[in-house]
Amino acid sequence: MTKAARVPPWFPPLSLTAIALLIWLVSFKSSPIVSVLHLSDSPLVPFSVSSQAFLLFMLVRAFFYWPPMVRWAKSMPMPHRVIFALMISSIIAGHFTLDSRTYFPLVAWEIFPGIHEQNPVTCREFVGTTESGKKVRLVVEQLFPSVVQINPLDGFTPDATDHLAETLAKAYNQLHADDHVRQVDLVLMAVNLHPNAGETRAQPSCQLLKRYDFSSGQ
Amino acid sequence: MPTAQTLRFLIGPIELLHEQAGPRLLRLTRLGIFLLWIVKLLLDPLWRLADLPREMLQPTGVLILLPPSVLDQLLSPDGLTTLLFGTLAVLALGLTDRAFPLISTLAALLLTVYSSVIRSFGPAVHTDIVVLLAVWVLAGFAWADHWQAKSTHKRKPAGSWSSYPLITIVALLCLSYCLVGFNRIATSGTRIFTGDTMEVFAIDASLRGYYFTTNIGWHVPEWPLIVLMLKLGFPVITVFEIVAPLCLAWPHFRWVFIPFMLSFHLLSLVFMNIFFFDDMLVYLLLFDWSRRYPQLRATHPGKT
Repeated sequence: MTKAARVPPWFPPLSLTAIALLIWLVSFKSSPIVSVLHLSDSPLVPFSVSSQAFLLFMLVRAFFYWPPMVRWAKSMPMPHRVIFALMISSIIAGHFTLDSRTYFPLVAWEIFPGIHEQNPVTCREFVGTTESGKKVRLVVEQLFPSVVQINPLDGFTPDATDHLAETLAKAYNQLHADDHVRQVDLVLMAVNLHPNAGETRAQPSCQLLKRYDFSSGQ
Repeated sequence: MPTAQTLRFLIGPIELLHEQAGPRLLRLTRLGIFLLWIVKLLLDPLWRLADLPREMLQPTGVLILLPPSVLDQLLSPDGLTTLLFGTLAVLALGLTDRAFPLISTLAALLLTVYSSVIRSFGPAVHTDIVVLLAVWVLAGFAWADHWQAKSTHKRKPAGSWSSYPLITIVALLCLSYCLVGFNRIATSGTRIFTGDTMEVFAIDASLRGYYFTTNIGWHVPEWPLIVLMLKLGFPVITVFEIVAPLCLAWPHFRWVFIPFMLSFHLLSLVFMNIFFFDDMLVYLLLFDWSRRYPQLRATHPGKT
């Protein structure tokens, strides 16, 4: 007859209690660590970070107690274990750098994380007028398909905006030799989050911010 | 008891995905990932980035390590063309499976440089990061196979080692979704689901326009049913992101996860002009092909 397995003392709920205590100590302003270390207003580690670390810890623990995973990991020769551990720990470490640029491709996985409730929703765009009078949107991601996304134009300096307008006009004209853009407008488009009942429109509302004249054939 | 039996039927087996995968499935995966990158690069006029204003440049990843003069040369038309075609050549060599550890490592390095370049003119977006990491996984495990085979004096890697990179790639895909969900909840709590945030995201992305521009998303406030769908869908998507790691273990869950997330990505294209088509192709690895097709297993009838 086999001996019943002894539950180790650190098993939940004891370990969960310890983790919750640790999170309170490092992530809450009311913790004694904040006063002992004379931290001004901010805790040692933001709660958004410590809570994520806790959730990940639970996830990894769950997989490492699951028998098929344990069996699979134990079957791995040492070099393979090293590679597996390196890849998983790298993506996790990259996430906790809270940085999506410096350590690319080990990035913080932040996709639509924050609350945004501005009304109206606004956006700056370049709209070109061609020689035939056609209005065309000059979208960087379409004229330069390598770039998946650019930063919002609101954050561009005036010089950068001017240079970009000229660049987009040239790029469009290279692709449309028969109908060049002769004028580019920087417009502010706006959409109301709560339109009147029954209100519809074919285009967002547009406000002209700046006009660039390229009719001299640049 | 019928209830218990029904539950057992609904839950189904719990088994590790790709546990039985063999060398043929690994080879197909290598071919698929390398071909995906080849197609992406063939469709990319990378040299045109040299025309973008340098005020937009924010060096990303490995580019931060380059001296300014080297960065200038890399971002010139000739430099970008060399990077593009050099990477294509290495990827094509990778298809042959010859000297795979070395070629795949070179491919991973070049693709990292390429991906860093295209993200240096805007935010470091998350599209195709998993596919890039997949190349690193294939390279890493190829070296592990090589060293282990040498140390045990085997002529070639054991068939059972084929499952390691496949499971790791799926783990990275699921972990990336999970981290997105954890981050959203930890950063904003449940308040992100109760306000107008999802509408704002849809309108903002639609107004800005990306490579695909459907011009539909900014109409969303005019359609109350669509607003309701977005508001209800946002927390559901977040839950699916958080529990994505269940895909590694639960076949029946994958049958729900895959169509749901594919629909989510397609709706993101329609309303937000955002299309993660690379990740959608990686979903092919969420099917346990080796359980369905014995020829793809590490050991199959007829193989000693």
